[in-house]
Amino acid sequence: MLRPEVAAPGAVKVASGDLRRQRRWALWSAYACLGLFCVFFLAPPIYAFVTSLKTSQEIAALDGNPWLVRDPTLANYAALLGSSTFLRFFWNSVKVAVIVVAVTMVIATLAAFSLARMRFFGSTVLATGVFLTYLIPETLLFIPLFQIFTWLRDLTGIEFINRWWILCIVYPTLTVPFCTWILIGYFSSIPKELDEAAIVDGASTLQLLLKVFLPVALPGLIAATIFAFTVSWAQFLYPLAFTTSIDQLVLPAGIVTNLIKGDVFNWGQIMAGALLTAAPPVLIYAFLMDYYIAGLTAGATKG
Amino acid sequence: MAQAAAIGGAFEERGASRGGGLARRRARIAFLLCLPLILLVLALVIYPAFYSLHLATLNKSMTRFVGLANFAFLFKRETFWMVVEQSVIFAVGAVVFKALIGFVLAHLVHRLPQRGQRAWRGMLLVPWVIPPAMSTLVWWWMYEPSYSALNWLLAGMGFAPVPWLGDPYWARFAVILVNVWYGAPFFMIMYLAALKSVPAELYESAEIDGANAWQKLIYVTLPMLRNIIAITVLFSLIVTFANFDIVRILTAGGPRDMTHVFATWAFKLGIESNDIPLGACVSLFMFPILGIAAVFILRDVHRRSRELAGVAA
Amino acid sequence: MTKWHLSRRRLLAGASSAALAGSVYGRARGAYGAGKLSVGFWDHWVPGANDTLTKLARQWAEKEKVDLTIDYIPSQGNKLLLTIAAEAQARSGHDILAMNTWLPGSHAERLEPVDDVMREVLAKNGPTNPVVEYLGKPDGHWRAVPATPGSQMKGPASRIDLLKEHAGIDILAMYPPDGPATPAAEQWTWDALLAAAEKCHKAGFPFGIGLGTTSDSVDTWGSLFHAFGARLVDEKGDIVVNSDATRAALEFAKKLAAFLPGDAIAWDDGSNNRWLISGKGALIFNPPSAWAVAKRDAPHVAEKVWHHPAPKGPKGRFGPYLPYYWAIWSFSPNKSAAKSLLAHLSTREAAEQLVAASQGYDIPGYLSFNDFKTWNEEGPPRGTLRHYPPTEDQILSIAAAPAPHKIAEQIYNQATITKMIARIVQGGDSIDKAIAWAESELEGFMRG
Repeated sequence: MLRPEVAAPGAVKVASGDLRRQRRWALWSAYACLGLFCVFFLAPPIYAFVTSLKTSQEIAALDGNPWLVRDPTLANYAALLGSSTFLRFFWNSVKVAVIVVAVTMVIATLAAFSLARMRFFGSTVLATGVFLTYLIPETLLFIPLFQIFTWLRDLTGIEFINRWWILCIVYPTLTVPFCTWILIGYFSSIPKELDEAAIVDGASTLQLLLKVFLPVALPGLIAATIFAFTVSWAQFLYPLAFTTSIDQLVLPAGIVTNLIKGDVFNWGQIMAGALLTAAPPVLIYAFLMDYYIAGLTAGATKG
Repeated sequence: MAQAAAIGGAFEERGASRGGGLARRRARIAFLLCLPLILLVLALVIYPAFYSLHLATLNKSMTRFVGLANFAFLFKRETFWMVVEQSVIFAVGAVVFKALIGFVLAHLVHRLPQRGQRAWRGMLLVPWVIPPAMSTLVWWWMYEPSYSALNWLLAGMGFAPVPWLGDPYWARFAVILVNVWYGAPFFMIMYLAALKSVPAELYESAEIDGANAWQKLIYVTLPMLRNIIAITVLFSLIVTFANFDIVRILTAGGPRDMTHVFATWAFKLGIESNDIPLGACVSLFMFPILGIAAVFILRDVHRRSRELAGVAA
Repeated sequence: MTKWHLSRRRLLAGASSAALAGSVYGRARGAYGAGKLSVGFWDHWVPGANDTLTKLARQWAEKEKVDLTIDYIPSQGNKLLLTIAAEAQARSGHDILAMNTWLPGSHAERLEPVDDVMREVLAKNGPTNPVVEYLGKPDGHWRAVPATPGSQMKGPASRIDLLKEHAGIDILAMYPPDGPATPAAEQWTWDALLAAAEKCHKAGFPFGIGLGTTSDSVDTWGSLFHAFGARLVDEKGDIVVNSDATRAALEFAKKLAAFLPGDAIAWDDGSNNRWLISGKGALIFNPPSAWAVAKRDAPHVAEKVWHHPAPKGPKGRFGPYLPYYWAIWSFSPNKSAAKSLLAHLSTREAAEQLVAASQGYDIPGYLSFNDFKTWNEEGPPRGTLRHYPPTEDQILSIAAAPAPHKIAEQIYNQATITKMIARIVQGGDSIDKAIAWAESELEGFMRG
């Protein structure tokens, strides 16, 4: 796609001033359009932030501009960060997310390696259809899953019900299919010559995976990791259904169940809680954005 | 290197040429590598799904087997057909807008100078990174009848306050809006990368042939992006169709059940009204609808990939 | 052979030492001889109210040497419902769970009958109100013990000033802060409410009565239906919605809805609270939670709020009551401990402490407990809760009664009553069409 500054300077000079003005106008209207969308996309988080700085009295008052704060206070954040309950939710979320990411990456990497390079009965179906598991929704699954955990509990004597690590077993069903799919796309874009060179050098399958694929596909791996983390962190229904006790809950289920009691809503704290819950994925994304986008999209566009 | 070609795989060819034994061993290793995935899906997705199928054939108190009676019962309810229609409107409407907006945004960002792209891309992807349950809470607060910040803005511009969640048609719009807000960045990011991978020569030769911007779009961009468009649309259709959080938090299906989608209505019937078999029934209806869509789209993608592979080989 | 003998001896030795250790353990620690008990209580929104309940439960646990685990489960987001559904399915989980309204009835077969506990409790406390008995005794047996935390009345909470100024109603004259209801209260009828609603609507302070599908709306309109004698399904399970009483109720509802906020149909349980707290509304139907939050966030509104009984209709004064219970699963391994705990929590002293901790929000189900001091003293304005607990001239109602429990539960949860009204008000259906729709819905609820 020829872009104004990429075209040779000579070409621009030769082109009439009209064309240049046209290009500039096109650029500015692009900025304007993007600006509008930015406003649309960023308005809710900004509003959440503004609300989180308000006292509940200010929130309850109808007068004035709701988009501005008159008496900003950090009380909502202080209340949450000082609350052992909230910190517990946070810590549980971290534990669950880390474990789920590890499990997901192992399963997805092995499967993607296999499906991208090798063939066995049904592998084609599995590769293209792996994300059809998303067709089966959580609301359908959680009751039978509860049965399975009870049965496991009776079998092994370990208490599965109402424990945070039950989520570590269930979340991978949501993360593995898409991660596998991303990685398949990424692995299949790795030139076969690399494989052949390694095999000629006497590499076993495992060494091929570890020494050739993983390093080359690193952006894809990072993208899949970030996806798995984001999905695990954001889960709502499964924690709501499977964990009951306050010390087992994760965010965001914890936010909704603890800050909304009966018909009493603590909006300031809810907004603060929402932002604090959103913070880890957003921060990770902010620092690793390039890897994330590169991996996510490169894997996809090869398909 | 199309995916389908990769699935064929250099290994298989070489394995075959060296004799069946090696190929079989390779196949076994391949299978073993896939085993965790297969087990995970079987145990935690397929088996519970079949169990739900079993549940759907029981009577309300789950003491008797009633076969397809629950399904027959559903077909006769007016609300059920409303839910089908609403789910389709929600899914198709939201996906169409997400894809369109994503496509437009991708083009706009693509035109920007390279330096600026990163910042814009970053800001525009924020909605997708925030946990949807949390952002829906914020939208809910923005829609709240007594305190709506959006209505405040509208009032400032001289409009009457909108019953965002109170009027059925506004409520449908509100729910779709939140879903589009959440999902459009995903499409943008996918299409942006796809745009970058379109070789410049194609556009150049089109220009030489005298194509204008619109024609370049139709004859160069769209065909090159066809696969990624198909895949993202399918993925998004599936996920949007099965959406629970947004409708549940914003409207819980109301007003007058006019924003119910399969997942929320299944929840209402199954859990809230304590009729788990009926709830399972409703949930299961999503599967055939999506399965058919998936089959069509994937067949198309597969055919294209095989074409490309054929050309490459 | 030798090996076998050795191992058998070792086994016996091991077993006896374990038994010895067990009794020594039991005696020395003096703890948990009576086993473990795990309870899921309702998470009270009043800050600190949970602590009183914890204290009472732990008192009992210390005395009885039970290893007690307490979870507080909120009802928002249906967390409580999900927990109950999952535990019922899996037949495992807590021993005791809080359940409200229809839940004891819908899980009756899986709950341990507590007739023995209730016999004791009723002997000491006197009878419960009829709603508590109706919902707690779904099949002739008490399936759950009435709980104080969470049980509430959903009568009106009005703005004294707005009613007086715009509707000409002096609510304090009817329900004074220092005494029982006066004869003027006889004027507080649904017709009077309708007239007041119109005037306040014209004045810009509409009544905030929700027409949504959550329990606040369903309870309110349910009591209206009862006040007109309209029933959807009778005790025998016959669909009787097509009656003149229903028509009268729907006519009335249509008139009243014209003066309610336009999006009332989408209101949830918190919307009416926010309506009152924001100062926009002159009246809502709600327990004192809205007023309590207003005390903190909008004191100038809170000090003008008065709680009082629902209006009177052609068939009587029906007040919406929503009871909570504590239920024991039949799969619980420690039923005797569970029953003992529940008996301990059902004493008058316990109830009094719980009511005080809830700042008067909780209303125990035993009629003799409706005279606690807390309600007279809470304020400002002082006396606002004096007329909150049920009085003798009120008939307590639960929407969808007297239908058989499994059917009534669905009527309630699927909000058939408010949906009928919504169809007329927003959907433009005629009253007959709405009744016909309700009939088809009710037929659907008859499924076994």
